[in-house]
Amino acid sequence: MKRLFVGVSILLLLLISLPVYAGTPLETVKVNADQVLDVLRDPKLKAPSAKEMKKDKLRAIYVNMFDEVELSRRSLGMNWNKLNAAQRQEFVKLFEQVLEKAYADRILSYTNEKIEFTKESMTSGNMAEVRTKVVTASKEIPIFYRVILKDGAWKVYDVSIENVSLVQNYRTQFNDILAKNTPEQLLEILRKKVKAQ
Amino acid sequence: MKSFSFAVLLFAFIAVGCAHAPQVASSPASPAAYPQPQPIIVASTSDEVPPKPPEAAVKSPETPVNSEKGTVNNDSNIDYTEEGKEEQAPTIADPIEPFNRAMFEFNDKLYFWLLKPVAQGYKAVVPEEARVSVKNFFSNLGFPVRFVSCLLQADFSGAATEVGRFTVNTVWGIGGLMDPASSKDLNLQKQDVDLGQTLGVWGVGQGFYIVWPLAGPSSVRDSVVIAGEYFLYPPSYMSEIAPWYVGPIVRSYEEVNRTSLRIGDYEALKEAAIDPYVSLRDAYVQYRWKKIRMKKGAQIDELAPSGMRMER
Repeated sequence: MKRLFVGVSILLLLLISLPVYAGTPLETVKVNADQVLDVLRDPKLKAPSAKEMKKDKLRAIYVNMFDEVELSRRSLGMNWNKLNAAQRQEFVKLFEQVLEKAYADRILSYTNEKIEFTKESMTSGNMAEVRTKVVTASKEIPIFYRVILKDGAWKVYDVSIENVSLVQNYRTQFNDILAKNTPEQLLEILRKKVKAQ
Repeated sequence: MKSFSFAVLLFAFIAVGCAHAPQVASSPASPAAYPQPQPIIVASTSDEVPPKPPEAAVKSPETPVNSEKGTVNNDSNIDYTEEGKEEQAPTIADPIEPFNRAMFEFNDKLYFWLLKPVAQGYKAVVPEEARVSVKNFFSNLGFPVRFVSCLLQADFSGAATEVGRFTVNTVWGIGGLMDPASSKDLNLQKQDVDLGQTLGVWGVGQGFYIVWPLAGPSSVRDSVVIAGEYFLYPPSYMSEIAPWYVGPIVRSYEEVNRTSLRIGDYEALKEAAIDPYVSLRDAYVQYRWKKIRMKKGAQIDELAPSGMRMER
């Protein structure tokens, strides 16, 4: 009887803590970063013709690693509330494409950089910051990931490169644009940018 | 028996309480996890935007079942809410924006038409190790600015580190070409300080945004100290011992060398930006703000006897 109770209470404990434990934020970021490095260093993908394949793989990692909606919402800030449901969905997609176009080639150009994971700290109950350093021959670039716990998984919602937060940088730009334009016009600007790239 | 089941229940209760306590405590900071009791946008837009009410009305019931591509889920229905705990975002006044935009264009052209091609040619000829050495050499000459800044910030350990670095790197690093001081054994890291930051640490506000030709983004505060930085930088005294044009040549070379190690950074910023001028301005403000805040934070953390002075 006693044994059963011990068993039941252990089982209960496991069940209760299961949805809360989702690996540490640092582990989550590290797993994703390692996947990116694997893609970059894969000898099978060395050929220039494999670039599109590499991009596809990076996109898959990105979707798993980032919370695009959270990223978009925070980048728009209070302006997010001015967009209707359809506009929001379009914005999230366009924004993702802008980021992909801007950063995919840059990431693919990295070869022998090292990533050091220096620190993780909780910023609130369900948010944390993971500090990393990209070390190259000539410089060290601090890159911080802000992550949020959603549905049992840590997702990145902001990246700070050399202390410049991506979300804040875009928020300033979107604020500036939406001070003079409607959300529809902003979407049009983004559509044009995605097409032009 | 009863006590056992009570213990199990109590245990479960405490476990649940523990597991969720931090989230409850932080509920204002997690708008996503806890939808705020505000009208969601689908409802509010239908009367705010008269031209498209039928569309919005049709969209609303089907948004949760979002079949297309599956990237955007019904999570996007949640409104954005300000978070009390979020760091206040640094911004800067820009009263001379037309002038600044013109200077931004000028610097942009200067970079793409002159600086970048020259730096690329230089990069093709000079191996990276040599360019890193040149960078170290000029960085070593930045010692007086960093030393004085540390002193003015009353950061005496930082000042001592800088003296140590300068001595080690000048003597053992062949006049500063190498950087043995920041090796693991010595661990004398370069202090990330300057005079403008020093003013900021002392509470001087940044003023408004200024884009200088050649020098680029700056603020009133960071411009005030340009003279000071000039007089504390040894290459400024080249004119005492060499013809007048040697100084500018040395400065240009330093800039070309630095650029050769950072080709692609500016392009990436520009490529990612919706409005490159605003993006660069914000990057500058954020970068300066964090640099000052880090220094202030470090001092307060050192002074604070176990979290007594936590307000910043």
